[in-house]
Amino acid sequence: MGENERRRAPGTLESEVMGVLWARAQPLTAADVQQALGGDLAYNTVQTILIRLHEKNLLSRDRVGRGHVYWPVQDAATAAAAQMQAALGDRPDRQAVLQQFAATLDDADAATLRRLLSAAQRRPKP
Amino acid sequence: MIIAVYLPLLLALPLAVAARRIAAHGAPSVAARGLVAAALVAAASSTWSLTLLALTLLDDLPPLSALDNHPTLELPEPVPGVVALAAAILWIWGASRLGKDLRHRFDTHRRLRAVGSPNAGFVVADLPSPLAVAVPGRPGHLLVTTGMLRLLDDDERRVVFAHERAHLAHRHDRLVAWASAAAAVNPLLARVRDTVTYLVERWADEDAAAAVTDRNLVARAVARAALATTGPGPAAVLGIHSGVAVLRVQALAEPAPTPQRRRLLGPILLSASFLAATTVATVEFVVLAQAWL
Repeated sequence: MGENERRRAPGTLESEVMGVLWARAQPLTAADVQQALGGDLAYNTVQTILIRLHEKNLLSRDRVGRGHVYWPVQDAATAAAAQMQAALGDRPDRQAVLQQFAATLDDADAATLRRLLSAAQRRPKP
Repeated sequence: MIIAVYLPLLLALPLAVAARRIAAHGAPSVAARGLVAAALVAAASSTWSLTLLALTLLDDLPPLSALDNHPTLELPEPVPGVVALAAAILWIWGASRLGKDLRHRFDTHRRLRAVGSPNAGFVVADLPSPLAVAVPGRPGHLLVTTGMLRLLDDDERRVVFAHERAHLAHRHDRLVAWASAAAAVNPLLARVRDTVTYLVERWADEDAAAAVTDRNLVARAVARAALATTGPGPAAVLGIHSGVAVLRVQALAEPAPTPQRRRLLGPILLSASFLAATTVATVEFVVLAQAWL
């Protein structure tokens, strides 16, 4: 078990695996997912999570060669999208209630952020 | 009941002024909790002051006047009728604002929970606009759009998950709800509410930075997600969130803050003076009520 693996809170792995599969537009093998997660997880751990998510009906899979490729089941996400638009669409002020990751910016803020971002990307990783 | 009863109505102002300074130093967790506690004391004592002022109106009610055994006797009336009436109106206005605030919050959370039942701790909505929110509840879950998942790289996505989980783990929705309720009953506390909203974002950023052990990565994720949502959105119109993302990215360029409890001295002293003024006002009111009866 790697150091990073120990740091993750319980349950976070499943959502990280789902995040990877949703972010890619194509089916992935367990090895692909393992690599996307930073390579600090054991292959078997990733494999177990994929199988569990498949059993929960969150992932579809197909046999390819000796293993499987996995991709997210679309139905729930499509339904959620419609619900979410209904929930947030009619009242713009609802967003003020939420703890959302990033809120909208005005032009001056956007310019400042772009400058900070390019400065951060030039800086070497600590 | 000349001075003490009015003091809690004004003391919210120094708290609002001090909020930004308190937020600018030390760990955001300490500042957020301290400000919420001070805001609650401020809101409760200003509401109590309005209650006392409004209660002096009872003296003029016909049924009580009829009970008066000595109609000709001059009673002490240190609160002018106009002031008492204004206090009653402010009280009702605050109560209706509080009701609206609570309803709005409850309704939004209910709708977000209805979007989907969480599997693997989060719900994915297949929408192009990048959005990630913490949906409070027991145990609470994340609601993420595919737009957000596709916008970020693998490392940045871990930041978003860690950030939103920090909101859930520390029940940030409650802190913000308390601050918002305080600002609803006392609009002078609006700035304190906005500062608390900012501080919980900073708090979650610091938690995420600790989880991924890379402040630079968190700064990058915040900046990229914020830039992707650029435009005249609802938050920009409200003017609440403007500049928050910039402040967050700048704070992440600094070393991790350490808790500075002495920063809480200001809010603690202010809260103590609210309580002292409220106590004095209450005692004076009791004395007055005894004179009436």
